[in-house]
Amino acid sequence: MSIQDVISLLPLFILTAMAVIVMLAIAFWPNRRASFWLTLSSLILALAALVPAASTVPRHVTDLFVVDKFALFYMGLILAGGLVTTALSRGYMDKYAGNRGEYFLLIMVATLGASLLAISSHFISFFLGTGIVSLSLYTLIAYNPSQRQRIEASLKYLILVGAATAILLFGMALIYATFGSMQFEQISIRAVQPDQNSPFLLIGFGLLIAGISFELALVPFHMWTPDVYQGAPAPVTGFIATVAKAGIFALMLRLFSHASLPVGSPLWNEFAAIAILSMLVGNVAAVIQKSVKRLLAYSSIAHLGYLMVPFLAQGQLSPSAIGFYWVVYFITTLLAFGIVAAFSDPVNELDDSEAYRGMFKQHRWPAVMFGLALLSLMGLPPTGGLVGKVYLFAAGVQGSVWLLVAALVVGSVIGFFYYIRVVILMFSAPPSESTSIGPTGKGTSVVLSILTGILIILGLFPTPLIGMIAKIITNIL
Amino acid sequence: MASIPMQYVLILSAMLFSLGLIGLIARRNIFFTLLSIEIMLNAAGLAFVAAGARWAQADGQVMFMFILTMAAAEVSVGLVLLLRLYQQFKTLDVDAAKDLNG
Amino acid sequence: MSLLFFIAAAIAVVATLLVITELNTVHALLYMIVSLLSVAFIFFLLGAPFIAALEVIIYAGAIMVLFVFVIMMLNLGPQSIDQERQWFNLRSWPGIAILAAILLVELFLALRSGATPANVAQLAPQQVAISLFGPYLLGVELASVLLLAGLVGVYHIGRHLR
Repeated sequence: MSIQDVISLLPLFILTAMAVIVMLAIAFWPNRRASFWLTLSSLILALAALVPAASTVPRHVTDLFVVDKFALFYMGLILAGGLVTTALSRGYMDKYAGNRGEYFLLIMVATLGASLLAISSHFISFFLGTGIVSLSLYTLIAYNPSQRQRIEASLKYLILVGAATAILLFGMALIYATFGSMQFEQISIRAVQPDQNSPFLLIGFGLLIAGISFELALVPFHMWTPDVYQGAPAPVTGFIATVAKAGIFALMLRLFSHASLPVGSPLWNEFAAIAILSMLVGNVAAVIQKSVKRLLAYSSIAHLGYLMVPFLAQGQLSPSAIGFYWVVYFITTLLAFGIVAAFSDPVNELDDSEAYRGMFKQHRWPAVMFGLALLSLMGLPPTGGLVGKVYLFAAGVQGSVWLLVAALVVGSVIGFFYYIRVVILMFSAPPSESTSIGPTGKGTSVVLSILTGILIILGLFPTPLIGMIAKIITNIL
Repeated sequence: MASIPMQYVLILSAMLFSLGLIGLIARRNIFFTLLSIEIMLNAAGLAFVAAGARWAQADGQVMFMFILTMAAAEVSVGLVLLLRLYQQFKTLDVDAAKDLNG
Repeated sequence: MSLLFFIAAAIAVVATLLVITELNTVHALLYMIVSLLSVAFIFFLLGAPFIAALEVIIYAGAIMVLFVFVIMMLNLGPQSIDQERQWFNLRSWPGIAILAAILLVELFLALRSGATPANVAQLAPQQVAISLFGPYLLGVELASVLLLAGLVGVYHIGRHLR
């Protein structure tokens, strides 16, 4: 490994080194806030390290990783997501009676794992990345282990991910058996050779897609996802819904940019069916939810379905549409879960939608922020969600994937109903007894306000970001 | 040593994998669920080693080592969660953990 | 030598079948260990002696022992077997088994038709080691991060357990 390799992987090295330092700090430094500040600064440092890494791009670092602009974009997004989650968790964790050091350590390690996925170009780094993310999440979900809900959610997540990983691995093994290589580019080179018509291939890729869909919580592999999202602490749920999924999605983009996925082929159909089901079932199931976190969970399932539309359309607009929508989705989802977290503590979460009734009267600005986040999820102005959805729609139309575009539209329309219900609840008259759990601290409101600001700016002036993304992501799909 | 066709080993690993999958879905005791996950991971590992042997590469074995690592870590966390579950719910029944279904 | 493979394979399948149908957890674990040992033998036949050793030492030797420890800690007693008998709902099995059987038959047919050259090279531990210290060095480092996450997790969840 040369110096150039180290520089291109600098963010990862920083995170790994800081993980060890945080662990030592937990042991030797009694200050309760120490691990928070260490984690925050290491994520900022890692983000800053993207700049020198960008100067070495594009580059293959051993067989396992490939660092190019696409990878750095998603890595930046993931690191930013980890940073925001950490910032939003501080107030939440301040109310936790036990030790908090491990929480921030694990958030950092999980972010590391997700970044691995963004730069992965080999089955082994794929597997290690998902493994690191999952392992950290098991503990993060169960972070308050004396609460039944947490343990239940974590066990369900463990069983789900364990099965998913096994299915994924078996698919990878079959593909490896066919091609003799685990590297994405090698696989694509060998896939186009004429004698490769092995039946292993279809089953292998089919299983791989099933495994990926488990991890992305797409229908029909979403079975316990709403339970997990409801049972996990709110900031952790936000993390799972954004950072963990972004890593796998980026890897999926890379994998299938190499291995061709012609429209109408069995694998494409498999993906399309999963996407359509996710968009429809995700939205329909959300309508009857009483719990805000479950509602957001189903909404996140539906949004991943929307993101599949440009991926399957494979048009010119697709890469930047996907990139832009990921940015908007990150901001919106982190904002939404951030508000839930701001009003919760590790024992009582502000989950029941009835608890949001009349929130506007008591907490003006948070209610407005949450309302804007929901507007963005609906795809209404003046938020970035509108631009994002239009972009997805355009990408779908360009690829002429009419069935998927129809599902996108139908899903979004169904979506109006449940999002608007929460907004109406917030702005209606408050119940007679005042319920509130007070919002937490200045830091959290600052972060949330910044997120809201960016969301509005993206809604009104999206062009700079779109242009930047289009320049960065030119070589995928 | 005479050769074993790769297909046969893959068929074996597929059989073990499906047995694990059946165990995962059909058993109610969480302990057996964790055990079934181990069976599935082991079966996938077997497939990797067989594939590696067919191509005469060490990669299959390397992947198996990483699978081993992951399986060990995952089962440790799974077992400690199981102990906590028993402490909270007083049972190892998967269906008993129904707090979240809503 | 194919005969050895088939015998080991048969033992592995039967043992695994017994694992998932057994009512007594300790018996199930022991069947699992038998299954793992036969798979280890198959690894040896495939020319992967290092992995065969690892399978025995780590999978059968450490992971299964961990399971046994937990069983002992739980100290469930003989009524657990009766409980398992209650939970063992025979009605749920045929459906799943049929689905799995269909998948298996599909896979079987698919695998039958492929013509793969059946060469088995002896991959000595040296080659695995060279792989691990060479191209997959970062993988080893990341595996250690994986274990760190697992370690911290178990420590945290397991605190004040009793």
